[in-house]
Amino acid sequence: MTTTFPEGLVTAFAPDGGEKIVTIDRLNKWYGDFHVLKDINLSVNKGEVVVVIGPSGSGKSTLIRCINRLEEHQEGKIVVDGTHLTDDVRNIDKVRRSTGMVFQSFNLFPHLTVMDNITLAPIRVKGMKKSEAEERAMYFLEKVKIPEQAQKFPGQLSGGQQQRVAIARSLTMQPEVMLFDEPTSALDPEVIGEVLEVMVDLAKEGMTMIVVTHEMGFAREVGDRVILMDEGEIVEVGTPEHFFTNPQEDRTKDFLSKIL
Amino acid sequence: MAFQPQPARPSPQPTSGFGFWLRQNIFNSPLNSIISLLMIILISWSLFNLVTWIVAESDWQIVWNNQRLLAVFQYPSDLLWRPMTCIIIIMSLFGLNAGVSNEGIGHIIRRAFYWILGLIVIIAIVALVYWESVRLYWVIAALLPIVFFFIGNAIPQIAKFLSWGWVLLWFVCTFILVGFGGGHGHESTSPMRYVNPNLWGGMLLSFFLSITGIVLCFPIGIGLALGRESKLPIIRTICTGYIEILRGSPLVSWLFLASVMLPLAINATPAGIIRAQVAIILFAAAYMAENVRGGLQALPKGQGEAAHALGLSPWDTTSIIILPQALRAVIPAIVGLFIGLFKDTSLVLIVGLVDIFAMLNQIANQPDATLVAGGILKELFIFGSLFYWFFCYRMSIASRQLEKQLGLGTR
Repeated sequence: MTTTFPEGLVTAFAPDGGEKIVTIDRLNKWYGDFHVLKDINLSVNKGEVVVVIGPSGSGKSTLIRCINRLEEHQEGKIVVDGTHLTDDVRNIDKVRRSTGMVFQSFNLFPHLTVMDNITLAPIRVKGMKKSEAEERAMYFLEKVKIPEQAQKFPGQLSGGQQQRVAIARSLTMQPEVMLFDEPTSALDPEVIGEVLEVMVDLAKEGMTMIVVTHEMGFAREVGDRVILMDEGEIVEVGTPEHFFTNPQEDRTKDFLSKIL
Repeated sequence: MAFQPQPARPSPQPTSGFGFWLRQNIFNSPLNSIISLLMIILISWSLFNLVTWIVAESDWQIVWNNQRLLAVFQYPSDLLWRPMTCIIIIMSLFGLNAGVSNEGIGHIIRRAFYWILGLIVIIAIVALVYWESVRLYWVIAALLPIVFFFIGNAIPQIAKFLSWGWVLLWFVCTFILVGFGGGHGHESTSPMRYVNPNLWGGMLLSFFLSITGIVLCFPIGIGLALGRESKLPIIRTICTGYIEILRGSPLVSWLFLASVMLPLAINATPAGIIRAQVAIILFAAAYMAENVRGGLQALPKGQGEAAHALGLSPWDTTSIIILPQALRAVIPAIVGLFIGLFKDTSLVLIVGLVDIFAMLNQIANQPDATLVAGGILKELFIFGSLFYWFFCYRMSIASRQLEKQLGLGTR
């Protein structure tokens, strides 16, 4: 990186040498007059697991929703898998094809069976044959350990099962990077574990992941880097070890003291 | 000593049976008992009067004598085979559709088919006895659909062509009813000669206006609803304006406007039925749009976001994810609109068209009816009410079944 940044600005660039999947350069976003994201600099290497933590309203969700253009940004540059995210619809399509997203509220399509939920995008977007799509769907359903639920409707499943279906649905599109937007926040405590387990497996297999979460255990065990956001800024970046044993910033210490 | 369970005792009072039900629901307090008794007396008294009238006084001859006017108004009597052919092919396609599947929506279609077929069988029996000229057609209309039912049952693969079949059917039926050539001036005896739509009327007109209205207001209404939710300000403004203007005046005034203004606007005078039809469709579409919009707003934002995140195109997102969910949320309202539209077609008598109600009105003013002491009104309008009630009630049933059916996926 040859660009110079204003003094005091925290940047979260991945270590050089890796293949950059996501690069965010001085990203700014406003909701009306409200400045939600302030000069965000972040890059993610292939295979890296980046965990974003921070108090609610700090802009974490907005940040990852900008990466697949569910939110529009006003300033700055986002490059995903070599594609510059602009107003161009073709670029947006390309970026969405290389990203998968898992939402807090699952957002499965309640009028379609689990199988149809998963095969819809491969068939309609990638033009895959139905039989091939179903075969692949079964593969990923087995991966999230609920192949027996394929013919049920989402409403018949528990929250944890629904979220695992949502993960399988994203994986079936074979994205380069998975975005997780508080995937366990809407779950009953006793089923959080089964979703985290799937995510840990995924990370071990080398999937690139950006995870917004309040699960510090997950951050500590699986994260390659942890980012703390507050008031729309990146406050501190570091390895989990650095974060949980030796945080530098007061805001980090304050946040961690509240949740640990 | 071994444990002895206490023997079960019978309840001191009966908890089931007719007597129990009466005590629970009709005579559960002194005041309610008095009200119930009064109501029973009142209802028995009116029922007695009604039955006496039906058995001893009513005279349905006038309805029977005017059967052809009520059915098709002045549609040429040598061309009655044309509306009959329409009934036959509509029922045949209906039968084919009902035969294909008994699962989900298929079950609802099949039940509706049984009802309508039952009605037609009854009419066919009447036709066999009394109506020499159309006897054959009614018998075919009762039997051919059954054949097609079994064809559909045997070849369920044709299901995917059925929706196109219905669209095609509308054009075919309209073509058969209108005919071609002949022109206005000179006499023609050709079996397919042009029939001026001004001669259409009665049940034929009521069905044509309402079915065409229902079918066409549906897509227009969906388009308007999506337009009103659009991100583009121009489209949004146009759709909102359209909906608010159309809903702002009663249908009667739009029927008038269509009769008077449409010829000015397009510098030609289409047949009255077309002008009325346009008014009905455009009016109903505005209401349809508001119903659909209600469904769109009830949908969580995450549904669209999930579809976008998966890379689905805007068209796929709308047609596969958004609309199916939005529409099922407002099925009762939509069917309510259809029922209303079916009944509202009776307003076309305002612009001089003779649908079944206008026809009943005319018959009530004939010497046949007016020369009888007190005039004959009751039988005519009871008949008209039964006609509307049968089809509206059938739509209600279908709506309830549809709600239940579609609820399965979300529960």
